[in-house]
Amino acid sequence: MTEEEKQESALSRFGRSFKELLYGMAGHDMTRYALKTRGSMEHLFILITMGDLLGVPILPPYYSLRILPYVVPQISTWKRRMLRERDLTDALA
Amino acid sequence: MNTIFVLIIAAIALFLGYGVYARRIDRDVIQPDPKRACPAKLYMDGVDFIPASRNVLFGYQFKSIAALGPILGPIAAVQWGWLPALLWIIFGTSFIGWVQDYASMMMGVRRDGDTLGALSYKLISPRARNILMLFLYFYLLLIMGAFGNTVGKGLMINPKVPLGMIIVTLAGILAGQMLYKMKQDIVLTSIVAVAISFLGIGISTLPAVSNIFSGLYGLPKSPVVFLTVTRAQFIGTLLVFVFCYLGSVLPIWSWAQPVNYVSFWIIALGMLGGVLGMLIWRPGMGEFPAFTQWSIPTGPLWPMLFVTIACGAISGWHSLVSTSGTARQLECETDALPVGGGAMFMEMVLATIAFLTATVAFGSLAAYKETLGKVAALGVFAEGLARFLDHIGVPHDFGVAYGSVFLTIMGLTIMQLAVRFMRVASAELLGDKVPVFKNVHVGTIVALILTAIFVWIVPWLTIWTAFGAANQLMAGLALLLISLWLKEEGKRNTWALYPSIFMLVTTVAALILLAYNQFKGIAVAKTSQAAIAAALVAIIAVVLIVAAAFLIADGWKALQKRRPEMAKKTP
Repeated sequence: MTEEEKQESALSRFGRSFKELLYGMAGHDMTRYALKTRGSMEHLFILITMGDLLGVPILPPYYSLRILPYVVPQISTWKRRMLRERDLTDALA
Repeated sequence: MNTIFVLIIAAIALFLGYGVYARRIDRDVIQPDPKRACPAKLYMDGVDFIPASRNVLFGYQFKSIAALGPILGPIAAVQWGWLPALLWIIFGTSFIGWVQDYASMMMGVRRDGDTLGALSYKLISPRARNILMLFLYFYLLLIMGAFGNTVGKGLMINPKVPLGMIIVTLAGILAGQMLYKMKQDIVLTSIVAVAISFLGIGISTLPAVSNIFSGLYGLPKSPVVFLTVTRAQFIGTLLVFVFCYLGSVLPIWSWAQPVNYVSFWIIALGMLGGVLGMLIWRPGMGEFPAFTQWSIPTGPLWPMLFVTIACGAISGWHSLVSTSGTARQLECETDALPVGGGAMFMEMVLATIAFLTATVAFGSLAAYKETLGKVAALGVFAEGLARFLDHIGVPHDFGVAYGSVFLTIMGLTIMQLAVRFMRVASAELLGDKVPVFKNVHVGTIVALILTAIFVWIVPWLTIWTAFGAANQLMAGLALLLISLWLKEEGKRNTWALYPSIFMLVTTVAALILLAYNQFKGIAVAKTSQAAIAAALVAIIAVVLIVAAAFLIADGWKALQKRRPEMAKKTP
């Protein structure tokens, strides 16, 4: 790598870092809240699909089975979220 | 002392504190392992636990910890003279502040992403968590009281501010709609929203517009509506409450987040302009004394200075952000120091700039006190910033309005988060017994009524001192938890334990002094309002002292019992 290339990569690295920093200050919070909203929606979606397993007869099993494939990829992360003990300090961030 | 010298001292503190001391602790004591999986990867759920790069997290952490605290504290504290304030900012950050932010983050990472509540439960006792929750509610109430008082009764009463603030809020709402509903580009959205905000702040300084608010407020001498609250203060605080109410009950994407986003640009551009103006002007301290006297109306230098400058040197709020938010997003352990420690040192720089706006911008204690007497600490900052902005060609009137909106937004950003949290807390704590608290509107209104009592009744400096003491006490407790965790891990903990002892002793002393003064104030109060205000603050101070006493006693017992091998047995 030539000196010019090294300098260029350092500059582009700085540019990328600066962009990330700005994003962290300005937009990261928004992304997190969007993800939290999606997480809440997923909880509802899973409840609709699997509610009868929990004794909540929301959708007839036929429809549950039809939408089950869309739920399956979310099950592992959903389990982690649901089973994690929470308290009020979790609501702060 | 010249501005440049102060900035050089801050740079030296940054180099020695971060580059030498913090790095040494990180390398020799904590020993982060870049290969060890962090909770962000181990428990990734795409919501709370999700890895992010260190640059993103540095920005996130800095924005989350920097609010009104690092700005107002130094401004109020220079009443003891500029030297004690500057020394506490620099030494507080270098030996205590970064320790808390960084170590609480690492504690969260090494303890599976646990928050302070869970950590106090596991490391101290089940009772500790319940007390911490109660403590947190009062702490947030004090934040609301202190920030609401400064924004509603201090800044919004300037007739050149409210319209600017309303337009910035509308620009934020527009930004939310453009982003989420119209699916517009973020760059275009930002340019439009920021341009509208600047235009709004400019329009609000026009005499034709400010005269409308002057008339509404009944200026030049605003009439008293009730107690000692003037019509201007009443309308100003009502505007703040409406903002917080909407921030608490509306979907976060439509109100709180986009307004915060637009605010970021206003704050960042304001800071940039202020620093540029300061570097061009390079004023000296002039006749501003290095030290005035040991005891001022706020109280003696020790312990009161150490709670007046809350954030900017150390703050308990940071440990909440570090554990609940950032620790769950760290990509690898080695990122904790630049993110946690780095953001704290950056806040030290922000506090130093705020310190300079109160000192060099005025050049003398008399000029500073004259402005402080007229418009309180927030007004001092707005005026100081405007004087710096003068030197890059920004009209003075616009600069003052800009500085005021800048600070109003900073305060409101935290306030709406605190109201949301208080609403959730009341629903969780009381919802089962009193189901009406589960209603979002009821929870929000109750939180705002409690806030209103503090804002309308208690004087600014008293509520600020109480908030500072609670905030620093929270930091002392977080440091105690860190010491416990370090002992359990078999690591040297004196670098966290000694700061913890210092903070606990100082803040409890400050609370005792505050409670004593307030109880004394009840006896000599000339009005019923003054008596109620003194009683309120005294009761809260006593509650905080009792809660802290339980937490310290339990923590100390746990510290005596903890042995390194217990780490494996802890659930």
